[in-house]
Amino acid sequence: MAKQSSDGAAVAPSDTGAAPGARSLWASRWPALPAVLGLVLLFLVPMGIVGLYSLWRINNNLQLVTDWSLKNYALFFNNAVYLRTFGKTLLVATLATGVTVGVALPFAYFIVRYLTGAWQRVVLLGVIIPFWSSYLLRAYSWQSILGEKGVVNQALQAIGLISDPITFFNYTNSAVVLVLVYVYLPFAVLAIYASLEKFDFGLLTAAQDLGASPLRAVRHVLLPSIRPGIITACIFVFIPILGEYLTPTLVGGVEGTLIANLIINFQRGGQLPLAAAASFLIAIFVTVLLVVFRRYLRVQAVVGRV
Amino acid sequence: MINRQLSRRDFLKGSAGVGATAFLAACTPSAAGPSGSAAAAPSATVEAGPLNFLTWNDHWNKDALTQAQQLLGITVNVTELSDDPDGIAKMQSVGGQLDIVSLDGSWVPKANDLSLIEPFDINSLAVASQLYSISRTFDIWTTPQGYLAYPWGWSPIVIAYNPKFVSPAPEGWEALIDPKYAKRVVLEDEPFDITLWSGLATGAKDVFDMTDAELAQCKDWLTKLKPNILKFVAQNDGVISALAKEECWLGNQNLGVEERVKKAGGIEVKAIVAKEGTTGFYDGEMTVKAGDNKARVRPYLEFAAQAEWVAQNFIDNGRPLFNEKAYSLLVNAGKKDLADRYFYNQPELALKMRVKGPSTRDADYLNLFNSVFGA
Repeated sequence: MAKQSSDGAAVAPSDTGAAPGARSLWASRWPALPAVLGLVLLFLVPMGIVGLYSLWRINNNLQLVTDWSLKNYALFFNNAVYLRTFGKTLLVATLATGVTVGVALPFAYFIVRYLTGAWQRVVLLGVIIPFWSSYLLRAYSWQSILGEKGVVNQALQAIGLISDPITFFNYTNSAVVLVLVYVYLPFAVLAIYASLEKFDFGLLTAAQDLGASPLRAVRHVLLPSIRPGIITACIFVFIPILGEYLTPTLVGGVEGTLIANLIINFQRGGQLPLAAAASFLIAIFVTVLLVVFRRYLRVQAVVGRV
Repeated sequence: MINRQLSRRDFLKGSAGVGATAFLAACTPSAAGPSGSAAAAPSATVEAGPLNFLTWNDHWNKDALTQAQQLLGITVNVTELSDDPDGIAKMQSVGGQLDIVSLDGSWVPKANDLSLIEPFDINSLAVASQLYSISRTFDIWTTPQGYLAYPWGWSPIVIAYNPKFVSPAPEGWEALIDPKYAKRVVLEDEPFDITLWSGLATGAKDVFDMTDAELAQCKDWLTKLKPNILKFVAQNDGVISALAKEECWLGNQNLGVEERVKKAGGIEVKAIVAKEGTTGFYDGEMTVKAGDNKARVRPYLEFAAQAEWVAQNFIDNGRPLFNEKAYSLLVNAGKKDLADRYFYNQPELALKMRVKGPSTRDADYLNLFNSVFGA
């Protein structure tokens, strides 16, 4: 078969043996070099450094001693509080992801199904607008909403539902979940929107014409079609929450402590190998999750038209 | 209008080209130096970079930094320091990226033992003549090579409380674990120090070197403390804010908390030194031996440690500082009562405190703290 040049024209096969094949392979792959370099420099090298630190220790002078051992990992598996806190982090991440996707799905459905193109762009802009302010500010502003003198308490007092401010809203686990949902909702909406936009809604009508109830049509026709978008939304939300530090600190108080808060304590105390071991464990967990879900990660199906 | 369709390969090639150019540009040292600093910094390019300062939020004045930039061409990048061990660890980790770092008490000689800082002749700094003489002769900061840190301020850790809600007035650490105050205590997020206070509360012999049995008692005490803690905050202004908003009724603070809360929200709080004893600090600024721009530390101190700035810092933050000339300025400005109330005129008291310093069991203290405050 004749090869093609970069502009698509047919070119004669080379008569110089294997070398041109190798050149051709190189020529076809070198443009991926920046991505590979990015992956190596921004992911593999830092992770390697964290992995190395996790196998070393700090002496009484807070100096790094390059003795190789798994003691830092043993600390986590031997102390129930770390496993419990990691378990709680998983639970909060699962709950927040579930709620986020649960809100994002009907929201994206509404945008795609009931809004015209111009209005879709307006609403999507509204979804993206929070990104224009910093994460810290967005999370911090919830203190003014949920706090004892915050908007919610003042409103409830104004309408006479409560006489004294209630502390239930702020510095609790529920506040953490609420703010996480708020912070990560745009990611989920955009991922699901991209999937829904390509969905042929005539299929839903066809399913109902063939006797399916609306719910059944959604369950058996719509959801399987947009599954990549839903899975991507789950990944975009669930994984960052595993490392969340700021939101639990700002609105969770002591009750809302997640595993990253304990890791930060080690860092504050200069115990970098212990912090590295805990961080590495989370990274391994995330990597395993991604491997498990890799077959759903068809990026093209989510972000681009086929 | 360009009609040519961009193929994926063209796009990737273009991206690679742009990426490579950007990478090379980023790696090429700039000859210009920081903006606006060319006239003020005739030294080598590496010396003309910003002064990287790792410190607490109350060790600098915004106006002083602005003017240091305008008048001296020194751009100061401040990074907040969370705790002393964090400062030591960062100095060890980041090489030349820090030039000046603040630490407390006997953490300073620890940094010197580790060859992280550069001792200097404090009397060679003109601004040092404004200091109380006692602060230029702290034993633990004096070495044959020179003085280890430029003295800044000091304070015992006090328990601040809101008398409207906390009654009777607390006398010691036990107030923090009183079930009446569930979710009404806010502390700075300093696990090491909080563990020290639990040692003081439970009568440990040497809180910097507690035994396993003493740590077990600490754990019980911290377990009682946990339900009372509303949140931990990164810096002491977080405690001030929580007290002012009446989010919390009790918190740890430095001297001067009453004034700071009043400024923040107008309510009245009081402060006590715990009867079981407390920890305290005197702190200072150190020159980092490996700092790329350490040559700028001296001109920065000569400017930002002047009495006018220090006096303003006292008014803003309330705890005593070591600049004697600033005390005179405060007296002249009619603030003698305020300064004396917070012992500004008695720097010798700094030597009577149980000064913050390293422990032989740092990791154990942290692990204990995490064991209690984890889920």
